[in-house]
Amino acid sequence: MILPRLALRNVLRQKRRTLLTLLVLVAGFVALALAGGFMTQTFQGLADAAIQGGLGHVQILPRGGLDGDEGRSLEHALPDGEALAGRLRRDPAVAEVLPRIEFMGLASSGARSVAFLGTAVDPAREPRFMAMSDRLADGAKAPGGAGSRWLSADPGAREVVVGTGLARSLGLAVGDSLTLMSTTADGALNAVDVEVIGLEDLGVKELNDRSLCVSLDTGSTLMNAGPARSRLSVVLRRPQDAARECPRLAALAGNGAEARPWFELASFYRQVKLLYYAIFGFMGLVLALVVLLATANTLLMSVMERLRELGTLRAVGMRPGSLMALLQWEGALLGIAGSLAGLGITLVLRAALNALHLQMPAPPGSSHGYELHIHLVPLVYLGTFLGLQAVIQASAFFPGLKAARIRITEALRHV
Amino acid sequence: MLELRDVTRAYELGGERAGVFGISLRVPAGTLAVLAGPSGSGKTTLLQVAGLLDTADAGEVVLDGRPVSALPERERCEVRLRRLGFVFQTFNLVPVLSALENVMLPLQLQGATEAVARERAEGILARVGLADRLRHRPGQLSGGQQQRTAIARALVSDPLLVLADEPTANLDHAHGGPLMELMAELSRERGVSFLAASHDPSVIGRADLVFRLRDGRLEDAP
Repeated sequence: MILPRLALRNVLRQKRRTLLTLLVLVAGFVALALAGGFMTQTFQGLADAAIQGGLGHVQILPRGGLDGDEGRSLEHALPDGEALAGRLRRDPAVAEVLPRIEFMGLASSGARSVAFLGTAVDPAREPRFMAMSDRLADGAKAPGGAGSRWLSADPGAREVVVGTGLARSLGLAVGDSLTLMSTTADGALNAVDVEVIGLEDLGVKELNDRSLCVSLDTGSTLMNAGPARSRLSVVLRRPQDAARECPRLAALAGNGAEARPWFELASFYRQVKLLYYAIFGFMGLVLALVVLLATANTLLMSVMERLRELGTLRAVGMRPGSLMALLQWEGALLGIAGSLAGLGITLVLRAALNALHLQMPAPPGSSHGYELHIHLVPLVYLGTFLGLQAVIQASAFFPGLKAARIRITEALRHV
Repeated sequence: MLELRDVTRAYELGGERAGVFGISLRVPAGTLAVLAGPSGSGKTTLLQVAGLLDTADAGEVVLDGRPVSALPERERCEVRLRRLGFVFQTFNLVPVLSALENVMLPLQLQGATEAVARERAEGILARVGLADRLRHRPGQLSGGQQQRTAIARALVSDPLLVLADEPTANLDHAHGGPLMELMAELSRERGVSFLAASHDPSVIGRADLVFRLRDGRLEDAP
């Protein structure tokens, strides 16, 4: 126990210098821990948006259904999607299966016609797992959206929820009529008249300008789809098992289908994640360099000031390795103290920032901002602590080597 | 006990060759021996070679019948830790440790438990008259008290030989005399040899054995 005790006393010897080093460590810890919490919030938000936006945890697709534009053509669909959905619902790992028909066509309000991307969903099942009603535009977001509601589960109802941008282009408001035209799987032109019962904000301008949503009955009638479905969104009881369940679900679905986890299909999520990793990784590198230099400087100065003392320790029999260990202990104590103080400040700052309800600007491609809420992620704090500690131990290596290599006779002469 | 056989350690100082040359001497067990001579005569150099703090260019250091000068550094460390003690002119106590902790240090480096090290350190500190200064740090002790603490540190692991470099040089006469008296007593009591480098007549006067050095060479063998 002599080394930790000696290290502690040495660290406390030059209080001002130690305090300055601790400030650098605390700043590094706070920056990394808060950034980690912010990243986690962002990733979680994007993951929720992707999963609850319609992907579910696993997508069952016709094999090759992701190639080109075929995803929106019933030529490449799950031929008996409804029956397949029924089979999958009986699987114990599956909480729900949400069949979808994806299609495209022309929407006409009489005076104007605009191309659209349509999705037909089960109006009864979908809202239980997907954030459909959250997307409904209220009066504040879009004046025309006041009174918006979700699709009726009545099979005979011909209703549509239209993206706010598309509604603006067509001059639509809730209660208006709209004609949807598309090409069926066998190439015939078909049309249905629907009533606009809601406007939705999908969070991305390009989607708002083009998308609309109808019930499976309406979509099936328009596309003459019968039991065919474009894809099935599978909601799992254990979301974290998405990747692991895919092979089994694919086998259950049969030869013509494949199963893909949500994160392979959420390209925006993956791109943002990569971008954040690059930005915060670079920031982490810069902070690590600052911490490395600050700690190495402190420990090296401490070695140079203590040369005679270190020479004495060597004279009375301390091994060079023990001197290196002593410097490692000094670094470790600095790191632990810095991380503990940093953790305390991080928790206070996190609570304060979250309490301010700060509105973040809309991310690129998104139509609205979001409230800052830095997540409390113990794993991030642990990772930050371990990362900083590794940097500090590395920074203690050179001063330790310097101490271990001193010539005793020269060190004893040092004043 | 300690035997130096034809030891040479040379270095350049101000363009001139300095050091010690062809020194042979023997310090029997339980002896208080002194290396005497003016400044620059090579006392400290010889002491450092004898204490394995420095390596001789030629010759041999034999401790308790075992040649030790050619040992690898790891084993030299062990010899310093277990067989030798050191007392320095400027005391060289670790300033962040108390008198007790300073004396416990060599035992703890040997792997002794805290309790064992504490008990032995308290005993030796009481023997050198510092029983009431255990918790004091070096900065809170007088020069004489610091040097007595250093002697306690040197003796705590029962070494064969204590090497003392000008142990009274930083003490006034009132403290230097009693310190040498203490070293002589401890040498007799414990059978430990002391080899001190000094040009202080009061130190030389208390020695059992005096080796006089001039210009790096032994003037007169005993």
